[in-house]
Formats: sequence, structure tokens, C-alpha cells
Amino acid sequence: MNISLALKLKAASEAQHILDEIAGVTAVVIATPDGFEVASASLRSFDPSRIAAMASTISAMGVVVSQEARLGRCKCITVGTDDGFALFSPVRNQETELVVNVIANAGAVLAQAMYRTATCVKVLEAHKSGWLPPRIGG
Amino acid sequence: MGVGKTTAIAAISETPPISTDVANADASVAKATTTVGLDFGELTLDNGDRLRIYGTPGQSRFDFMWQILIRDALGLAILLDNARPQPLDDLATYLDGFAGALKDMPCALGISRCDTHPSPSLDDYARALQARGLVLPIVAVDLRKKDDVIALIDTLLMQIEAVDAGAPL
Repeated sequence: MNISLALKLKAASEAQHILDEIAGVTAVVIATPDGFEVASASLRSFDPSRIAAMASTISAMGVVVSQEARLGRCKCITVGTDDGFALFSPVRNQETELVVNVIANAGAVLAQAMYRTATCVKVLEAHKSGWLPPRIGG
Repeated sequence: MGVGKTTAIAAISETPPISTDVANADASVAKATTTVGLDFGELTLDNGDRLRIYGTPGQSRFDFMWQILIRDALGLAILLDNARPQPLDDLATYLDGFAGALKDMPCALGISRCDTHPSPSLDDYARALQARGLVLPIVAVDLRKKDDVIALIDTLLMQIEAVDAGAPL
């Protein structure tokens, strides 16, 4: 699976934006479906490769559960905990597939994080190969 | 990774197997898809008992799934691909990863592609196990063949029965 540099840059930008914009979000990892980190951003030291592997597993399990239950396409998986939550959202770009993982503490608002994560998914799904950064100075 | 766990479970499962395969991004392995969650299949034994068979991802980065799936398991079958560059290193990885379970859980080894890649031999695997103080049944298998996979499961079941009867691991 080849992921273009443009898509990697877009993923890195989105990960950082989510971290910056949503209070309580502590880490964002965007990974391939088989568990390799593509981009990440975090407020503390952590191992994104480990999170990437778990994100791919949980996302794949969500797909299987959705199929078995005939609930249609899996769009989001939420793991609620005592101290926060984790969101996992699959991305289906024409170029490739990805998984967006957002980890937040108890100070974060779940709906806000879900909305922003869904926006990130839409941005990555809409991304086309051949994307070029905007030219400075027009 | 790529030994054929998903294929093996699909070969023997009486129900449609559940698979969590996704596109493989690891260029070091010539494989279109890889398991990232689990495989699941069911098999009815001659006595009517239903056996639930779970397959784990093979890569070490998914070792958290190894610990999840091994909980409350009756036994463990470790499948190794003799065509891989260092199959004995792969064995060591799994023996380390399942070290806790192997203290009190019956286990059998299935070695695939021995026909095209005869080295290491089954004796080499036995010696590697012996060096760790383990004595486990080792079976050459073609994981695409139902009879071979059933034979491996039968071997593991015999191990389980022997341990239940008080035989040492």
C-alpha cells in the first residue's frame, strides 16, 4: 500500500488540528488499516506505533461487528473509560484506507470530538492524489 | 505472518469464518491482506462438543491480541512457515510471546511448507524447544488441506486430554 506524501502531510495537519482545536484531546494517531502509523500528534510522550496497531485491530473488529449485525458501514467506534474516551474512525479514500484514532481525557466533550473527527475523516476521504499545497503569494 | 492461519481456519470451520483481514502495507511481505484482529471458526468434535478456534495476527505489534485471545483457551497451536527467512526466530518470538500461557497450557506446533523448504527440519524445531525445556508435538502441515489442519487439531486435543489426565506438560 503506497500512501502519497501529500496524503501523509494532510493527515499530519489534520492530526495536529484536532489536538489544537478540541480541549481534552491528548493524542491523535492516523494509521494504515494494518497498524502502521501515518501521522500523529500528542500532548505527552507516547508510543504511536502501539496505538496504531490497536487502532487497526479495533477498527477491523468494528467492521466485523457491523457486518454480523447488518448495521451497514462502520463509521465510528467509541471506547468510554473512567478517565476519558478513545474514538476510532475508518477512512476510505480512493487512494487508500486509514484509521483515525483520537484519545481524550475526561475534560473533553465526546460530541465535539466526534464531530471534529468526522470532519477529519471527510477531509481525508476527499483528498485526491496529486494534491499540491497552495502557492504562497498566489 | 503469512503462514496461513486464516486459510487454516477457513478450511475447517463449519460456519462462515469471521475474518478481520485488511490490506497489507508491509512491503517486506508479499501478501495482499493481513489479519489485524482475529479469525474465528467453529468445528464439531466426534463427541458433539463444539470447538471454537481463534486465530491471532502474527506480527509482534499485535501481541496485545495474543494476550486477549489466549485467556481461557483450552490449548494453543503455533503455526510456522518454513519458507520464512528465519523460522526458528519466529518460533522464539511466539514462545516468548506466549511464555506465560505455555507454563500450564497444552500446545502443538504446525510447520507449513516443509515440502518446498525442508530446512529447518522438525528435529531442529524439537531441539529449539528442548533448549527451553519444552517438549511439544510438532506436525508438518499443509494449511490449505482440511485433513492436515484437522490432524493438527487432533494432536492438540490429545495433548489437552493427556494433560487433563495428569500427564506433565
